[in-house]
Amino acid sequence: MGEGYRPGNRDDFDRLYRSAYPRVFRTLSVILSDPDDAEDCTQDAFVQAYAAWRRWRPDAPAEAWVHRIAVNRAISYRRRARLRTVAEIVRRLGRPAPVADPADAAAQPDLLGALRTLPPRLAAAIVLRHYHGYNNREIAAAIGVSERTIGTRLQQAGARLRAELDVNFSLTPRSAFPSDKHESYAED
Amino acid sequence: MPKTENDPLGPRFAWRLRFELDRVQPRFSPPRYATRARVSPWRFAPVALAIGITGILGLTAYAATGSANPVVWTERARSVIEAVPPSPTPESTPTPNAPKAAPPAAPTRGTSPEPSGSPEPRESPEPSDDHSGTSGSASSTRLSTPTPDR
Repeated sequence: MGEGYRPGNRDDFDRLYRSAYPRVFRTLSVILSDPDDAEDCTQDAFVQAYAAWRRWRPDAPAEAWVHRIAVNRAISYRRRARLRTVAEIVRRLGRPAPVADPADAAAQPDLLGALRTLPPRLAAAIVLRHYHGYNNREIAAAIGVSERTIGTRLQQAGARLRAELDVNFSLTPRSAFPSDKHESYAED
Repeated sequence: MPKTENDPLGPRFAWRLRFELDRVQPRFSPPRYATRARVSPWRFAPVALAIGITGILGLTAYAATGSANPVVWTERARSVIEAVPPSPTPESTPTPNAPKAAPPAAPTRGTSPEPSGSPEPRESPEPSDDHSGTSGSASSTRLSTPTPDR
């Protein structure tokens, strides 16, 4: 991943764009439910990465570096979008936050829908781990936090996903989720 | 890249996530960073505009003063500004005119007998030779006229 990339080289960045764009887009499509928003943030992330391409260090994978930019951008985008929604304004006025309707959750048993209910940092950790195949160290380098933090996030995300998904469909038999194995994310 | 961690969510979760995300087809729009790179010269438009305005001002000043020295431009501008009277009062206008009228009056002190020809004394810086020539001829006529009378 990222081998042969030279910092500041335009052709190499074009190559990185062609290979990493679909993967970064899919990561952001989990954080941002709207595909237009995901595309917008992905493009902005590549614009930001291109501006900093001369400063990229080859010791870190280039795609993970773009992922870091893209995830941070998507998180701030989602935060701004939430602030713009009327529900957020109402919540900030002191009214109780709207509770998700269980009927809606039952009508949306897809995995991506469940992932989108997670906080974006947890969702990003899950996607980087289980879709892109990064290990904790690579995720920590990509997101810019410690490996311990990544382990904690993966545990939290796994617990919330199990609670969300077991209602709708079973990914694995319940016996496959013993409580002692929840700590295994930190074993890297 | 090898996974060294166990997966509490199970292998089926990874398979299902891959299945779901692979169905998400990204829209391949043209890379925005390439478009931005083409637009980036517009960032320098204000600088180019400022350079152009400065150049036009410099050329105008050169054409007005005939000098490429900015010091000359500033002196010229200062003299023009100082030449403009601060207030249109009638008392102040004769005062600067008086010394300016003096230089044309200076050649007239050459005791020229013709007051009407004011530009001509300026052109002839040696009035003494002319006067001597005319006076000589006048004296010769005065001297010659009595002689035939006598």
